[in-house]
Amino acid sequence: MSQLLADLNDVLRDVFGDPDIALTETSTAEDVDGWDSLAHLNIIIALEGRFKVRFSTAEISMLKEEGQNIGSLVKLIASKRGDLA
Amino acid sequence: MGHDGGDVRALNAEGDDPVAALRASINPSISFTVANGALRRLTKLRQGGAKSATRTRIAVLGGSTTTQLAKFLDLFLFAGNIDAEIYEAPYGLIRQEVLDPTSELYSFAPQFIFIASGRRDIGAPSPAASQEEVAAAIDATASEWESIWQTAYERLGCQIIQNNFEAPPWRTFGHLELNHHAAEGAFIDGVNRELRRRAPRWVSIHDLDALTAAVGRWNWGDDRFFHLAKLPCAPEHLPLYAHSVASLVVARLGRSRKCLVLDLDNTLWGGVIGDDGLAGIVIGQGDAVGEAYVAFQKYAKALAERGVILAVCSKNEDANAREVFEKHPDMVLRLPDISCFVANWEDKAANIRRIAQELNIGLDSLVFVDDNPAEREIVRRLVPEVAVPEIPLDPADYVRAVEAHRYFEPAAISAEDFQRTDMYRANAERRQIASSVTDIHEFLRSLEMRAAIGPIGDVELDRSVQLIGKSNQFNLTTRRHSAADIQRMLESKTWETRFVKLVDKFGDNGLISVLLAEERGDALFIDTWLMSCRVLKRGVEQCLLNHVAETARARGLKRVTGEYLPTAKNVLVKDHYANLGFTQTGGSDDGATTWELDVGADWRPIPHHITEETP
Repeated sequence: MSQLLADLNDVLRDVFGDPDIALTETSTAEDVDGWDSLAHLNIIIALEGRFKVRFSTAEISMLKEEGQNIGSLVKLIASKRGDLA
Repeated sequence: MGHDGGDVRALNAEGDDPVAALRASINPSISFTVANGALRRLTKLRQGGAKSATRTRIAVLGGSTTTQLAKFLDLFLFAGNIDAEIYEAPYGLIRQEVLDPTSELYSFAPQFIFIASGRRDIGAPSPAASQEEVAAAIDATASEWESIWQTAYERLGCQIIQNNFEAPPWRTFGHLELNHHAAEGAFIDGVNRELRRRAPRWVSIHDLDALTAAVGRWNWGDDRFFHLAKLPCAPEHLPLYAHSVASLVVARLGRSRKCLVLDLDNTLWGGVIGDDGLAGIVIGQGDAVGEAYVAFQKYAKALAERGVILAVCSKNEDANAREVFEKHPDMVLRLPDISCFVANWEDKAANIRRIAQELNIGLDSLVFVDDNPAEREIVRRLVPEVAVPEIPLDPADYVRAVEAHRYFEPAAISAEDFQRTDMYRANAERRQIASSVTDIHEFLRSLEMRAAIGPIGDVELDRSVQLIGKSNQFNLTTRRHSAADIQRMLESKTWETRFVKLVDKFGDNGLISVLLAEERGDALFIDTWLMSCRVLKRGVEQCLLNHVAETARARGLKRVTGEYLPTAKNVLVKDHYANLGFTQTGGSDDGATTWELDVGADWRPIPHHITEETP
């Protein structure tokens, strides 16, 4: 799981062009400058490319909602890849 | 340590020119994430003062979200050395932005409007609709877009890039999708055809349908992103989409490339002519790799036939290299196809500069294709203006590698220039007939000429102004009226404007004559009369005069008057009015003469061999 979090940070640094990004499982979109709805889509696209997974329309929508954090994103990717939790 | 000029330039290009490096890194196959990274670098470079050779202003009107598309459009234009200021209209307001004269579109005053529409912006008729209903729906849809173009053009005088409509990937009528009139695919096909047919010179149709087909229709749309954010396509295709639109802007701004410079060994054939000899190189049918080289040569030949210049730049003995073009039976390209042939042992950067010089075109008009990565690299460094695409190892992939960049995108505005090869060929054929027919009347009759004569409209305006600006020989007064002048005449009640288009059995000669006349007293005074010399002695003057005489009579006028103002170049038409039966009414020391023709009850039209049609 921690490797996944590291890889995810890698993708976010790439998407935002910000080498200082270092998020934890409790971080949320609000902690990142510029994580708006367009950036959200860019992140989804980059994650799909990096982890070879596909998010459903409902999941992409859900991830933007109140109460979601990086931890929920990591869990979702892990379950899609069939990782052991 | 010796430093020659080449080394210093190489150092600069590599170390000190991040702008050139960024430009070179932008290509149509970059991924969405890489394109976003390039955009961030572009923003930084612009903050540091990076500028392009040309500027333009583009308004993007979208039926879907265009934010990302507009940013990528800017990126690809920058790659083409153009800085674009972009106004993005609010999503889904194409019609409102154009129709409302107080919209931001008009205060922005763009040079280009890109209408980023898609199939969701037009309603398809019901599958139960009759043939007539579908035809009416196609006409109504095309007319609506046409009127949007007209309104924007009248208010802004700008160029318009209009998407055509992409067929959906599904086919509810199965293999009969294009056969049955009421299928969505057939409807979209009909609308696209009408848009193509109706687009005036200042509208470029961006073939979105072809782009989606090239990508694959199911792959093109990722409906998740349409439902979530109204993105026009899957984000991974947005760079390709933006590049495709940018290439039309580049073409309209006259910055398309003009010349394809080709290496020889392992680029046009397999092997090295100097080592393998004429019998040893790989080219031609019967060998898979040889056929791949033939296919690439055919592609280059087809480009050349539509006006792209071909040049050769090769490290070889000149005689060896030429011998392949002269003697190898399987070569598609021959020496007459190559406008500039350079084979020697000097460095390619220097040779490419020489090619540009000999052809008298800019370095930024050249595309250099070479299988050797070291040669590509040295040209990129030493002549950064030249486009140098990456070339894959397999010659079967060469066509795609070059075509993907759309370096040679033609501008719709030069459609007429574009038919030049055909026109010259047709002229040669006409001359052949003339020599086989002894009687001039029989010859002219055999041409089956039809002339369309009418008032200059929006569609004819650009070409008419172009002719007014450049005709020297067959030009009675050489008055260089501007587009705005013509516009004023069109709005005036006293002026008559006429263009002539001529078609004969060998082809379309295009718009070849312009006449401007003003009512003065009891006469229609010919202010301007000019004609393209390629239709001299065909009876066009007689045909047009008859038309003008009728126009004067319809206004209740008794005379047609005109004048000849001599210049260094228009002696050809010194006796123009005398030949048409006019009477001279005056003359001055500088050779200027004035003329009149009575068009009262006794007037009879002059015979000729052209059928007049209303346009």
